[in-house]
Amino acid sequence: MGVNFHSVFFHLMAVLASGFALAVVFSNNIVRMAFYLVASLGAVAGLFFLAGADFVAALQLMIYVGGTLVLLIFGVMLTARGPFADLKTSPAQWTVVGLVGGSLLAVLLYAASSASRWTASGKAASAPPDQVAPTSAPLGLALLGARVDKLDPKQNSASSRAGGMSGYLLPFEIVSVHLVVVLIGAAYLARARRRATPRPIAANSPPDDPSQSSSVS
Amino acid sequence: MNPLAEPVHLTHYLVVGAVLFVCGVTCMAAKRNAIGVLMGIELVLNGANLNFVAFGSPYLQSTSPASIGLDGQLMALFVIVLAAAEAAMALAIALCFYNAHATIDVDQADELKR
Amino acid sequence: MDLELLLPLLLGLAWLVPLGSFAAIVFFGPRMGRAGRGAGYLAIGAIGASAVLSIVALIAWLLAHPLGGDHGSHHAVHAVAGDWYPLAVFGDLKITIGYYIDGLTVAMFAMVSVVALCIHVYSLGYMHEELHEVTDPLVTLSDGQPLKRRGRFHRFFQYLSLFSFSMLGLVIAGNVAMVFVFWELVGICSYLLIGFYIERKSASNAANKAFIVNRVGDFGMIVGMMALWSGLGTFSFDEIFARVRPAANGHALVVPDGMVRAAASERIAAIYRTTPTGPGGAFPGLQNAAEARIAALLPGWRAEGLGYGLLLVAGLGIFCGCVGKSAQFPLHVWLPDAMEGPTPVSALIHAATMVAAGVYLVGRFYPVFTPEALLVIAIVGCVTLLIAATIALTATDIKRVLAYSTVSQLGYMMLALGVGGWVAGLFHLFTHAFFKALLFLGSGSVIHATGTNEMPRMGGLLKKMPWTAGTMLVGCLAISGAGIPLVIGLSGYYSKDGILAQLYSFAGRNPSHAWLFYAAAAGAALTAFYMFRLWFMTFLGLPRDEHVHAHAHESPRVMVVPLVILAVFAVVAGWNVPGTALGLQPLLEQARPLGTAEGASHGHFLPTLAMPAEHLSHAHEIHVPVTLIAFTVGLAGFLLASAMYWWRLLDADLIGRTFWPLYEFLRNKWWFDELYQFLFVRPVLRCAALAAAIDRAVIDGAAHALAAAVRLFSRFDDWIDRLFVDGAVNATANVTYEVGLRLREVQTGQLRQYVLWVAAGTVGLFVLAMFLWTYTLAG
Repeated sequence: MGVNFHSVFFHLMAVLASGFALAVVFSNNIVRMAFYLVASLGAVAGLFFLAGADFVAALQLMIYVGGTLVLLIFGVMLTARGPFADLKTSPAQWTVVGLVGGSLLAVLLYAASSASRWTASGKAASAPPDQVAPTSAPLGLALLGARVDKLDPKQNSASSRAGGMSGYLLPFEIVSVHLVVVLIGAAYLARARRRATPRPIAANSPPDDPSQSSSVS
Repeated sequence: MNPLAEPVHLTHYLVVGAVLFVCGVTCMAAKRNAIGVLMGIELVLNGANLNFVAFGSPYLQSTSPASIGLDGQLMALFVIVLAAAEAAMALAIALCFYNAHATIDVDQADELKR
Repeated sequence: MDLELLLPLLLGLAWLVPLGSFAAIVFFGPRMGRAGRGAGYLAIGAIGASAVLSIVALIAWLLAHPLGGDHGSHHAVHAVAGDWYPLAVFGDLKITIGYYIDGLTVAMFAMVSVVALCIHVYSLGYMHEELHEVTDPLVTLSDGQPLKRRGRFHRFFQYLSLFSFSMLGLVIAGNVAMVFVFWELVGICSYLLIGFYIERKSASNAANKAFIVNRVGDFGMIVGMMALWSGLGTFSFDEIFARVRPAANGHALVVPDGMVRAAASERIAAIYRTTPTGPGGAFPGLQNAAEARIAALLPGWRAEGLGYGLLLVAGLGIFCGCVGKSAQFPLHVWLPDAMEGPTPVSALIHAATMVAAGVYLVGRFYPVFTPEALLVIAIVGCVTLLIAATIALTATDIKRVLAYSTVSQLGYMMLALGVGGWVAGLFHLFTHAFFKALLFLGSGSVIHATGTNEMPRMGGLLKKMPWTAGTMLVGCLAISGAGIPLVIGLSGYYSKDGILAQLYSFAGRNPSHAWLFYAAAAGAALTAFYMFRLWFMTFLGLPRDEHVHAHAHESPRVMVVPLVILAVFAVVAGWNVPGTALGLQPLLEQARPLGTAEGASHGHFLPTLAMPAEHLSHAHEIHVPVTLIAFTVGLAGFLLASAMYWWRLLDADLIGRTFWPLYEFLRNKWWFDELYQFLFVRPVLRCAALAAAIDRAVIDGAAHALAAAVRLFSRFDDWIDRLFVDGAVNATANVTYEVGLRLREVQTGQLRQYVLWVAAGTVGLFVLAMFLWTYTLAG
């Protein structure tokens, strides 16, 4: 009776990720939500490692956890004042959300469970090797356009679905430009403005005939 | 012990991914704080990433036609990058909104109603 | 140039020149000369040209056909006949503009144009007041003022020119259709001229009466024309005479083949049914064989009298038209009322020419009349003669007396023609034209001078108007037949003598109809009486109205000269040119239609009736007694008139009161107008009222009902439209709007709700996808 550590660790990470994600959902405090999110994403990175995507996992930790979430936390800190730290949703709305979310979950679970059906004739998963093959080099080369993992001509033929010696150079470039644009845009949007006092939005008027126009502040 | 001794299938990864996804959607739908909504978005994207990586994992159905090999990890890579960009933008918008209206409650942002 | 070409040319030009004058005055009348005066000159010029051309034609005729001295010559003088222009051809029937010129035509042209010329000149003076604004005292407007209107000088001459053209066209006409057209044209001119003073109700009524009464006669004329065409197949005079009096038969009256066949149509049908078909094909063979049999049987049928009735109808039908036009009994009622027109009109149209057209047509158509028809003509003429003469005895309007005198004299002419006196009747037409025109113009002169028509207001005008009085005396003598018996006389003496002689001869042959002679003799006495009554009342004695007498003056020269000219004609028309045989009577003798010289007899229905040959009336044993009788009766009439109105031996009023029923009867014109009003006018008006009521109630009612129904339907339609169509459209719009409003509420602006919808949609799509199609992996 050997313990499959791979699966043990998998289940541990899975529970962590799911649990912290649920905590994000059910928590009301924005700061706590941020922390739970960090933990969840960390667990996800672990799951990446277990799936053999070491480069992606590293990137997840660096960029996502270390960058994006830090950004998010900054945002939290900038805006979480007083009454805004705990914004509660009414139970009625929770019901509706729960229904929709539950149905979505049901659908996705169904799809997930049928994966074994449409991944037919597939061998059982092989045991993970003791050593993990590094993926960063093939990934980097693929980004530059050379798919070194698909050198097999049979696989390379255009007819096979997974074939084709096509790299990801173009998307790489596009994404790069995209990042520059976003940088500029975000910088512009978030610039400091001269404003005496921020004016609140006018009170919501009850729904009535369209002849009454809504005021814009 | 038995469930823990069995190897992990593709399905397990997909389940986790689904849970994360649904949590993210729920956050987006239920949180009144704009930053909370952003967090939901992050969760959604991560769930999707997990799916990608699972399908591209060499350990799970690597020879099946359903496997997408390295493409999966590349997709996940791009998603991460785009998520970062999107988070930045969204945060900028949220801060704009906060500066303009002194509130971070998305329920207050209904000027586009009918 | 040969007569065949010259005469149509001359007379055709003479006929058309007045038409040109009419056209010119129609377009340019008011602009001719000052106030239209030039129109008069143009009309005079035109009719003068016609007169000259007619006289030249007369001379040409006399040169070509010299008149024999004895009036029993049987020269066969053929008429010049032909067609100028074919208007239409309907199978056998040809309608053309054609001419038929013989001695009668030439003489009529000369007479009509010369008399018309005199009257045109006279009118230049008489219608003088139409040159400026006219105040008509007989027309009162609604505000009590008399009517003031513009003068219509040029219009008068326009109508006179048109009339001249129409009358000459009637005389020259070569076929019955053309005669009918010009018949109606002179009727129109008469209508226009009688109603010249259009604002006077009496004048417009009189014009209507003239035209409508003429129309009644024209109906008979059309029947006669139809009989002619169906029996003879032609309207042309030449052909009619050739078929009715064939040369092969010695120009004796013969029922033409066409009429015999028409009467024997049943027998002809029987023959066609029973004849076996001969050679030459189906129908032509049958036709040849049947026609051969019919041709053999035809003379027998004619002897039986088949077709005679049709010939009689043709003659009587044409005569009906003449009854209307020449104002014979019973259609005489229009002529006295026609005096509403200006006096020159009365002279020209209703004395000399238009009314003579009826007599002329009887004369022209003479060869076609059967003895029975001639007798009818004679009786109608005689009755008319008596009725009119008696009414003239009591009339007080000077023009009325002359009108009734005209009717009476026309009766004389018809009577003469009816008993076989062709030359006598037409001779009287010519002489009557001269002296009646003279009398009318003279009376016009009196009216113009005194301003009144009524003889009781005149008197003692002899010294004031010597020329008028003198010429009118000549006219009265002429109409009375004055002269030295058996020696010499005025024109009327000869013509009346001729008529009475023929009547005497006729009475001798037909003792049962001798009353015609006695009636005519009595008529002569009456004529003399009322004519001299007129003259005495107007010119002699003390003036009965000082105002009228003070105003009276002699007429200007332009009016007196025509009087004198006509007086001259009235005197000499009966004489031959001294030393020659040239004269009106010989000319008419020569113009007598072929075959009529021997009189008429052996009528089918009245076999014993015999109209004696005219030349017999010149025999001494007839001529002498008749002359003496005529002279005596004329003298008797004159003496009675003198006794009553000149010497004042008898009181006219006393006589009138003594015989007051007779006096009233005559004064009211035998109550003919009232009778016709009762018999004809009122029923027609009642029918008209009935028709109008039906029109209003039924037809208008139906139309209104239909309109109301349509309106009702349109209201219903509107209701449906509003309810359903508009309703549907509005409902659609409302529904769309409501749906839009409701859908709008989806946009709550709530971000989180949007997210929920996205998620829900995703779930839905996914479920759909799972159920609807299966996902398979290729390969």
